[in-house]
Amino acid sequence: MPTTLITNARVIDPASGRDETADVAIRDGLVAEIGRDLDRSIADTVIDATDRIVTPGLIDPHVHLREPGGEHKETIETGTRAAVAGGFATVCCMPNTTPTMDRPEILYFVTSRAKETAHCRVFPVAAATVGRQGEQMVEVQMCQNAGAVAFSDDGDVVQSAGMMKALLTTIGELGSVFMQHCQDTTLTQNAAMHAGTVSTKLGLTGWPREAEEIIIERDARLAEVTGCRYHVQHISSAGSVEIVRRARRDGAPITAEATPHHLTLTHEACDGFDTAAKVNPPLRELRDAEAILEGVADGTITILATDHAPHAADEKAAPFEDAPCGMIGLETALSIYIEALVNSGLITWPELIAKMTINPARLCRLDERGLGMLAVGDLADITIIDPDLEWTVTSRELAGMSSNTPFLGRTVRGRAVATLVGGEVVMNRLNPHESVQFCRPGRAPASASF
Amino acid sequence: MSTIVREGLGRPGGTLRAMPDATRHLLQLEGMSPATMRALLVRAQAFMQPGEKGKPLAGKTVATVFFEDSTRTRTSFVLAAKRLGAEAVDLSGSGTSLSKGETLDDTARTIEAMGVDAIVVRVKQAGGPHLIARAVKCSVLNAGDGKHEHPTQGLLDVLAMARAKGRAETFDLTGLTVAIVGDVNASRVARSDVIAMTALGAEVVLVGPPAQAPRSLGALGAKVERDLDAVLGRADAVQMLRVQFERHGGKGIASRREYRAGYALTTARAKRMRPDAVVMHPGPMNRGMEIDDAVADGDGIELPRSIVLDQVSCGVAVRMAVLERLLVGGPGDGPGDGLE
Repeated sequence: MPTTLITNARVIDPASGRDETADVAIRDGLVAEIGRDLDRSIADTVIDATDRIVTPGLIDPHVHLREPGGEHKETIETGTRAAVAGGFATVCCMPNTTPTMDRPEILYFVTSRAKETAHCRVFPVAAATVGRQGEQMVEVQMCQNAGAVAFSDDGDVVQSAGMMKALLTTIGELGSVFMQHCQDTTLTQNAAMHAGTVSTKLGLTGWPREAEEIIIERDARLAEVTGCRYHVQHISSAGSVEIVRRARRDGAPITAEATPHHLTLTHEACDGFDTAAKVNPPLRELRDAEAILEGVADGTITILATDHAPHAADEKAAPFEDAPCGMIGLETALSIYIEALVNSGLITWPELIAKMTINPARLCRLDERGLGMLAVGDLADITIIDPDLEWTVTSRELAGMSSNTPFLGRTVRGRAVATLVGGEVVMNRLNPHESVQFCRPGRAPASASF
Repeated sequence: MSTIVREGLGRPGGTLRAMPDATRHLLQLEGMSPATMRALLVRAQAFMQPGEKGKPLAGKTVATVFFEDSTRTRTSFVLAAKRLGAEAVDLSGSGTSLSKGETLDDTARTIEAMGVDAIVVRVKQAGGPHLIARAVKCSVLNAGDGKHEHPTQGLLDVLAMARAKGRAETFDLTGLTVAIVGDVNASRVARSDVIAMTALGAEVVLVGPPAQAPRSLGALGAKVERDLDAVLGRADAVQMLRVQFERHGGKGIASRREYRAGYALTTARAKRMRPDAVVMHPGPMNRGMEIDDAVADGDGIELPRSIVLDQVSCGVAVRMAVLERLLVGGPGDGPGDGLE
C-alpha cells in the first residue's frame, strides 16, 4: 500500500500528550511514523499541512443516521458524508430507527449497510429496551456480539427506576455503557420548548429543567450502586451540570456530553416559532449555556457530541408544536466548538481534541480498537483542521440530506479541511479553490494530488 | 465566559425566517405599538356609532378558515367584512385537507390562489398563523392560535372596557386595574388582554389556581395573585375566563366546589366589588361554574354591570377596523400602511 506523508503540521494527540510540529507518515492504513523532517522520497502522496492541525479522527458518539426507516431524512451514506465533511472519522448511531435497533438482526443490517455505503466508521448503539418502550430488556449480550458499543433508548428515557437498575446491572457486567436521554416524561407532557419566559409568551407548554435533573440524580445513584458506566446525553441545564460534577466527585462512573447548540444558543432562538430551534432537550437560558461552558472547561463534561438529528424540510415546516425535535450538527459542530471553546480562550486545543477523540473513544471502548489516538501503530484515522478558515453555514455547504440547523447564516472560523479513515482521504477541501471531494474508504483513486 | 453566548453565539444565524411583515398581518398584539392599538381602537369606536359606514372594502374577499370550533368569532369577522362591503367566504371545510396529509401552508396557498385578500385563521397550534403568513402574499389575521394569542379579542376587550370606564376618547387606561380570573395559562384571550391592557397603561392582575395561573405568568407583565376577594376590592374590571376542565387531566383543579370556593365570581363576591366596576367574559360562559347566573347579567344596580354583550358588539367593530386598516389603510393612512 502506498505511503502518505502529512508534513509540517501541528500534531495534537491528547492520548499520548503530543502537541508539536511534525510530519506523519501513513502506511497500510496505520500511522507508520511521526517525527520532524521525515523522508519525503518514500511518500507516494504528500499533504502539506503547514499552519494546520492534525488530530486523531474525530469521534461523535451521538448521531441519528435514520436508516432504516427514515431514509427521506438521512441515510447511512448521506449521514456519514456529513460526518466526514465535518471532520468526523467515526460516528455512533442511535437506535431510534424504524424498526428500532433492538435486536441483533437490525444491528447486522446497520453494520452491513455501513460496510457497503458509509464514508466513515459506524458503530451502532443498541436500544436498551424492546421498541424503546422501557418494558422489556433487549438481548444485551447478543446485541453486544452484533456490534453494539453502547445501549440507549435515546429519544426516550428509561422511565422506570426498576428497569434502569436491571439494565445497569446487566450492561455493567458486560463492560458496556448506558447512554441516557434524561427526561422525566411525567413532567414534559405536550412540552414544545424550555419552560421559561419565551414559552410563557408564546403559549407553548414548557419542558422544565428538573425533568432532566431528576433523572440524572436517580441514575447517578443507580450507577454508583451497580458500578455500571453511565453517560448523560446532550446535557441541557445548569442544575444537571452541577449534579454530574458532584456525582463524579463522589466517584460515580458517570460522564456527560455537551452539544454545540446547548452551549451556544438559548430559548430566544425559538421566538417567532422558529422550528429550526426546536430540539429535545430544549435550548434553555443564558445561565444554562454558561454552566455547560463552565462544565466543559472544568472537566465535568468530558465529551463533545452533536446529536445530529436530520429532518426533512416539510416536516420542520409544520406548526411549532407539531414539528419534530432535532437539528443537524455533524458539519458545523467542530467549527462551533472551536469558536465557543478555543477561540474564546476557554480551553486549549489539546483539551478540545481530547473531548472529540480519546474521551468518546474510551466511552465506547473504541480505544481498544486503535481509535481516538494518533501514535505509531494506531489506525490512521486523521482529521486535518484549518484553524483560521472562515466559512458561512449555508444549505449549499451542507453535505448531508437535510439542512435543519439554526446555525444557517452564521460565519465561523475553523474548519476540518481533510478527513482520513484508515489512511485514505475520504474528505478533501485542502485546496480552497476546488470544491470539496468525497471518497468512500476503499474507493480511493490510484493517485491523488493535494 | 458569558460574553461568548451574549455576543454572537447566543443568537442564531442571520438568515433565520424572520417574523412575518407586521404591516400586512395581524398575528399577535405583542410588539404592536400603543399608537397603532389606539388608532385601531379609535376607528373601532367610530364604527360603534350608528350610521352609514360606506363600502371601503368593496371588491375585496375575506376568507374565514377555522380549524377549531368557533361561532362567535367567525360570525363576527364575517359581519365585519360584509359591513365594509367585502365579500366573505367561509372555507373552514378546507381543514379536511389537513387530515388528507396536506400541510397547513399548502392549504393556505390553495385558499389564496382562489383570489382572497385576507385569510382569517384559527388553528389549534400556537404559531400556525405565523406559518401561514410566511407562505402567502395576502393578509393573515389570527383568530386564535392555540394558547398563544387572540389579538382581536384583546382589542375588543379593551374597547368594551374603555367605553364602560369613560376612556374611549383617549384609550389611555392609566390608573385602571383589571383582574383576569381563572384558567389563565391555557388562555390565548388572557395573553392578548394582558399585552393590550398593559401597553395602554392598565395594571393587570391574574388570579387563578396555582397550576392554572402559575407565577411564571408574571413574565407577561402582569401580577399574579391568589386572593380573589382582595383583588376584587380594587379592580375596575373583572374578566372571567371559562374553566377548561377537559384540558387539565386531573392536575390542578380538584373539583368544582374547590374551584368555585377560590375563584368563581359568585353573587356574594360580586356584591363586594367596587360599585362602578364592570364584569366581563369572553364567552362562552359556563353559568354556575366560573360565574354565577345573576352576575353574568348584572345590571349595575344590585350587582356590578355586566358588559358581556357589549364585548360581542365591540368585536364586530374592532374587526372592521382591523380589516379596513390591513386591506385599504385606515383614514388618514395611505393604503397598505397597515399595522406597523
